Amino acid sequence: MKLLGTATLALNRIWATKIRSLLTMLGVVIGVAAIVALTSIVDGASQGINKSLATLGTNQLNITAMAPDSLTEQDAQELAALENVSVMFVQSQNQGTIATGDKRVNARLVGVSAQYFEAVKPEIALGSYLSSSSFAATAKDVVFGADAANDLGLTKAMLGQTVKLNGQDFRLVGVLDDQAGFGTSGRVYVPIDSARKLFSQYPYVSSIVIQANTAEQVDTLQLQADVLLRERYGLGAETVARYTITNQASLIAAVSSITATLGLLLTGIAAISLIVGGIGIMNIMLVSVRERTREIGVRRAIGAKQSNILTQFLIEAIVLSLAGGVVGLILGEIAAFFLAVIGDWVFSIRLDTVGLALGFSLLVGVVFGVWPARTAAKLEPIDALRFE
Amino acid sequence: MVRFQHRSNSALLVEQEAMADEVVRLDKVRRDYLVGDQITTALDGIDLVIERGEFVAIVGPSGSGKSTMMNLIGCLDRPSAGSVMIAGDSTNELNDNQLTSLRSKAIGFVFQQFQLLPNTTAIENVMAPLLYQGKSTKEAKRAATQMLTQLGLGDRLNFDRNRLSGGQQQRVAIARALVTSPDIVLADEPTGALDSKTGAAVIELLKDLHRDGRTVVLITHDLEIAASAPRRVFLRDGLIERDERGAR
Repeated sequence: MKLLGTATLALNRIWATKIRSLLTMLGVVIGVAAIVALTSIVDGASQGINKSLATLGTNQLNITAMAPDSLTEQDAQELAALENVSVMFVQSQNQGTIATGDKRVNARLVGVSAQYFEAVKPEIALGSYLSSSSFAATAKDVVFGADAANDLGLTKAMLGQTVKLNGQDFRLVGVLDDQAGFGTSGRVYVPIDSARKLFSQYPYVSSIVIQANTAEQVDTLQLQADVLLRERYGLGAETVARYTITNQASLIAAVSSITATLGLLLTGIAAISLIVGGIGIMNIMLVSVRERTREIGVRRAIGAKQSNILTQFLIEAIVLSLAGGVVGLILGEIAAFFLAVIGDWVFSIRLDTVGLALGFSLLVGVVFGVWPARTAAKLEPIDALRFE
Repeated sequence: MVRFQHRSNSALLVEQEAMADEVVRLDKVRRDYLVGDQITTALDGIDLVIERGEFVAIVGPSGSGKSTMMNLIGCLDRPSAGSVMIAGDSTNELNDNQLTSLRSKAIGFVFQQFQLLPNTTAIENVMAPLLYQGKSTKEAKRAATQMLTQLGLGDRLNFDRNRLSGGQQQRVAIARALVTSPDIVLADEPTGALDSKTGAAVIELLKDLHRDGRTVVLITHDLEIAASAPRRVFLRDGLIERDERGAR
C-alpha cells in the first residue's frame, strides 16, 4: 500500500474517534504551549534587561575607587590619554539630602564632569542637562533623576527655582527621564566641582568612566587601563584592592548567560510535560492496538504486510502528536502575546520557537509511537484473528 | 442469482486447461502447538490435494483440526513438519513478508463474522486488498465498484457496515475476497452469523463461484452446509477420516 493510502487510514481513524484523539493530544498541547509561552517570557525579560544595560553604554569601562582616596583627577587625565578612548568622565558620589520647602529626603548626590551627559545621553523629561555654564566655578546648578524628582514632588513650575542639597542652595535646571534605569534612581546630578564643595575632597574621584571607540577595543582598553593604574600606584600583578574595572559588555554577556540558563531551565520543565504528553499518546496507542487486534488480523489476512501495519499506527501517533504541537503552538503564541502586552515587551513569533515546537512534537510522536506500532505489526495473524 | 461475466472466452480456455492444476497440496502435514508446557498435535500427518476449480468442504467438529487446516491453506501459518504447497509455492521456507505476498495473491478470505474493517465503507473494504497489493487508488476503486455491482451492492458502495444488513455485509466480504482474483476462495463458517435464509443465499453464491470456475474451500462444522459441496473432507482428531465425492 502506498504511503498516502496508509496515511488516509490513520487520519480516518483519528477522525472517527475525535473526542478520544483530542484528549490524547492534550498532553502535547499543554507541553508545547508551555514551551512557547515560557520561551517568550524569558525573551521578554532579557529584552528588558538588555535595554537597561544598553542605556549604560556598551563600550564603557567603569573604574571604581575602593576607598575615597583611591583614584584622582590625574588618573582620569592619564586614562583619557590612552589610545582609542573617545570619552572620559569622572564621578564623585555620596549619600546626602535634598530638600525643597518643608520636604526633605535622602538621595545619592552625584558629581559629574562635563562629558557625562554626552557619554550617557539620558532622556530629559523637563528643562535641560547641565550646560557648560553650569560647570563654571560659581554656578550651582542641579539636574534631578526621575525618582529623586518624584520623591520631592517636583513639577515643571519649579524649574529654575532653588532646591537645597545638603543644606546648600542649588538651581534646578532639569529632570531626567531615567526610568527603567539600573540603580540610577533617587539620584541628583551636579557638576563635580560643586560636589567637592558638598562632600568630596580635591583631587579624589569615586569613579572614572572611559569609553572605547568601538566595542572590539573594549577588552584591550581594559587591559591598558589596568596596566596604567598599576604602574601609577606601583601595584603588583596580584593585588587590586584600590579599584575595580567593570566592563559593560561583559556585564551584558553575564546577564545574557543568566537568562539563557533560565530559559533552558524553564524549557526543560516544559519538556518534561511534553514527555508526559508523549507517554499519554503511547498509552492510548497501546490500548488502541489491543482494541483493534481483530482488525489488524483481518488486515494481515487480506494482504497487509507488517510494514503496512507499522506505518499505519506510527502515522497515527505522529499525526496526534504533531496536531497537538500545532494547537499548542497557537495557544502558546496567544499566551505569549498577552504576556507581552502585560509585561510591556515586544511580541514576536520566533521561527526557531515554531521549529522547536513542531520538531519536538514530531519527535515525541515517533519516539512514543514506535513501540505500539511495533506491537501491532508483530501480532501473529492467526492469534489476532481469533482475538476476542 | 449473480453472474460473473467478466471472464473472456480465452480466459475460460486457460482455466479449463489448468483444471488439472493442484492449487493445494499437503504432504504429511503435521502441526503441533505448545500449550503451556504440553505439545498438542492439531494435524497429524495429513495428505490432501485440491485441484483448481474444485469446491471442497472441510468438515469436522471443533478440535478436529479444521481451523489449523484453514490457517495452513490460508498462508497464515506454516506446518511443523511436512510440506504445504499453495498455487505452486511451498510455504515452509517463506518469511513473513513472502508469506503475506503469497496470501495476498492466492487467497481470498471470507470470515464467519464478516470482519469488515471498522470505520470504512463497503467500497473501502473491497479496495483494501488491492491497495495492499500496491495498486493505485483509481485502479482499486474501479475494480471494487465493478465487483460490488456484480454482487448487487452497486447502490451501497459508500455505506459503512452499520448501515448494511448481515447478508449485505457478507456479500461485501465476498467481494473483498474475490476482487484480487485469488487462486482459492477460503470461506470459514461463512453462514455462521447469518439466519438460515441469508445463509442459504451465501451458499448459493459460493456455488455460483464454483460454477464460474473458481476454487472454493469451505470450512464448516455443519454437515448440512457441507453437503452443498461436491467434495467433502471429514476431519477428526487431526486426521482425515473420509474424503467423499459426489452429491449426497
